[in-house]
Amino acid sequence: MTVEQNFEALDQFPVGMRVLAVDDDQTCLKILETLLRHCQYHVTTTNEAQKALELLRENKNKFDLVISDVDMPDMDGFKLLELVGLEMDLPVIMLSAHSDPKFVMKGVTHGACDYLLKPVRIEELKNIWQHVVRSRFDKNRGSNNGDKRDGSGNEGVGYSDQNNGRANRKRKDQYNEDDDEEKDDNDDSSAQKKQRVVWTVELHKKFVAAVNQLGYEKAMPKKILDLMNVEKLTRENVASHLQKFRLYLKRISGVANQQAIMANSDLHFLQMSSSLNGLDGFNHRPIPVGSGQFHGGAPAMRSFTPNEILGRLNTPSGIGVRNLSSPPAGMFLQNQTDLGKFHHVSSLPLNHSDGGNILPGLPLPLEFDQLQTNNNNNNNNIRNMNNNKSIAGTSMAFPSFSTQQNSIIGAPNNNLVVLEGHPQSSPPGFPGHQINKRLEHWSNAVSSSTLPPPAQNSNSINRQFDVSPLPQSRPDTLEWNNVSSSYSIPFCDSATTLSPPALDTTNPRAFCRNMDFDSSTNAQPGCFYDTLQTRQSGNYGPTTDAMLSSSNPKEGFVVGQQKLQSGGFMSAEAGSLDDIVNSTMKQEQSQGDLSGGDLGYGGFSSLRTCI
Amino acid sequence: MDALISQLQRQFRDYTISLYQQGFLDDQFTELKKLQDDGSPDFVAEVLTLFFEDCVKLISNMARSLDKTTGAVDFSQVGASVHQLKGSSSSVGAKRVKALCVSFKEYCEAKNYEGCVRCLQQVDIEYKALKTKLQDMFNLEKQIIQAGGRVPQVDIN
Repeated sequence: MTVEQNFEALDQFPVGMRVLAVDDDQTCLKILETLLRHCQYHVTTTNEAQKALELLRENKNKFDLVISDVDMPDMDGFKLLELVGLEMDLPVIMLSAHSDPKFVMKGVTHGACDYLLKPVRIEELKNIWQHVVRSRFDKNRGSNNGDKRDGSGNEGVGYSDQNNGRANRKRKDQYNEDDDEEKDDNDDSSAQKKQRVVWTVELHKKFVAAVNQLGYEKAMPKKILDLMNVEKLTRENVASHLQKFRLYLKRISGVANQQAIMANSDLHFLQMSSSLNGLDGFNHRPIPVGSGQFHGGAPAMRSFTPNEILGRLNTPSGIGVRNLSSPPAGMFLQNQTDLGKFHHVSSLPLNHSDGGNILPGLPLPLEFDQLQTNNNNNNNNIRNMNNNKSIAGTSMAFPSFSTQQNSIIGAPNNNLVVLEGHPQSSPPGFPGHQINKRLEHWSNAVSSSTLPPPAQNSNSINRQFDVSPLPQSRPDTLEWNNVSSSYSIPFCDSATTLSPPALDTTNPRAFCRNMDFDSSTNAQPGCFYDTLQTRQSGNYGPTTDAMLSSSNPKEGFVVGQQKLQSGGFMSAEAGSLDDIVNSTMKQEQSQGDLSGGDLGYGGFSSLRTCI
Repeated sequence: MDALISQLQRQFRDYTISLYQQGFLDDQFTELKKLQDDGSPDFVAEVLTLFFEDCVKLISNMARSLDKTTGAVDFSQVGASVHQLKGSSSSVGAKRVKALCVSFKEYCEAKNYEGCVRCLQQVDIEYKALKTKLQDMFNLEKQIIQAGGRVPQVDIN
């Protein structure tokens, strides 16, 4: 069915939608049946799971949606859910009196597209049709785009928010999987002109922050939306983004090698988002990971795209986390387009990702990854990945970082830096939390100190980036200088404290981005990365920190990244580093059209070019 | 007749409100009532009939599971029945029964035999009490209709 057709069908929809209700409790079944009838659906009921399977098997097109209870004597509801998902590829909604999040999570991981608690209210049932539409959209989208997104409708997200059908649309729009550019109108459904929401870095950061605030498991689109307080953002937008984010995280967490994940997540994510234009080879795809996402709490950090970059940077540890949290969603996406060169992750999923903590506590898991793979083959994926990565990355990434970062940390910001570096210590899903906290801490610290101790910046950055590449574990200014020159310490600009003159906001970002790319992971030539690596040694340090702390999140991001890389440089060198960076950045910037704008913040552009 | 109808209606209203106030019923019951319409005029009665049937079945399951003479007590089985009863009682708005199920479930998880037995007895008493009350309420409804009146919609607040 084409999109248009889908839409038309939707016109009638949800009236007459064919639902199969399964519940061994006859009281509940009767009530459910009546409720569904009142929603004008066409209802078939059975109190046995086996019977339900038979009904479904006998005619695959007989039903549009399945609602099933969890506790049933003849077959576990989750099992049924899996089978239906596999065999019939229908959206399944779980129903239970268990409000325990574990069950909800289980539902999600088994592919439920929603999880409702008993007693069921009619309001909730009135919106379940969206899952069918979404499923169809995804299928269409997948076939149209040819991306690998799994067309089976999102079964990954288990939130039980009531979304309007518009969510479907938005999802497609937002997550244009195979889009090269964010702006690319994936909206096949031309019929409805839904305003596409561009998940900018900023937006994503907010999202991650909101998620963090609510707690990953408790994060519901509506609440996230309220927390984000963004005009014109709908719950569907948030829901879609959340879903992606979760998939991304999941995906990331799924990787055995955390570091690898972190590092790769961004790349992977990026890769997924084929849309990244210009991203040649470089996986960099928005390394959402480090960039921006860091939302650790430091607002400045937030803007970091470093998360993104980090993502890219092989530092799985640092990067992952960061990105996740506050993916400069916009960045991520945007980057891709502009950045082409930039590769970075900046385009990270930030947009998508929940502005909030992806990392912090998110076990990355799960859904996000799935989502990612599914949805985002393109940017989205990358973005998500980044996000996830960030989260996952954080945990994972950190390990890599830690070595480097720690060294860098020397400075007061150490706490930040350290944080990043500690991905290892933090539970794989959770680095984000720690990181976030640290970031906050860091940002505070940073702001107070003129020269943000490299550690801080590096922390954030580190997280994002794979610090490992930094040769020096310590903040060593000398090296830093070297590095910085190549890198553009774009971060710096943000760090007003650092005052690297050169680092203008735009640059830093760009810089960071580059940084993010894990040298190791970047296959790319990543000019940036290479340079970064070299530079890393020294330059990152201070400037980045400073940058991070002082300025907008984006910068922070960058800075952080840098720091990571250089491991040592954080400290005071800032001045020199900044200069170097700035100069480098400038060059790079000129090269590329990093218009930071894509990402949401200017900084990245410069980085992009570098890369 | 009108006076009778009004009187019956007033009685019905007061009685219904008292059920809510005493905690026998909650909002979910109100929702169920809303679902009742001309297309399904006895919806509530049907659902409650099913519910009480379920109660009987589940309670006997629980009693059997808690019967020590057959061997060790399988608390998970008891818990499963309790969980189901909790689900159905919450769906119909049987507030007290549901509350009992919550504590009953805790006893099951704690494998507290005495606690479980006590809860079982209480559940038995509660559902029967609710059944009686609802039957009285339905009777009042019937009388109103027979007298030619309409069953008023009771606003609980």
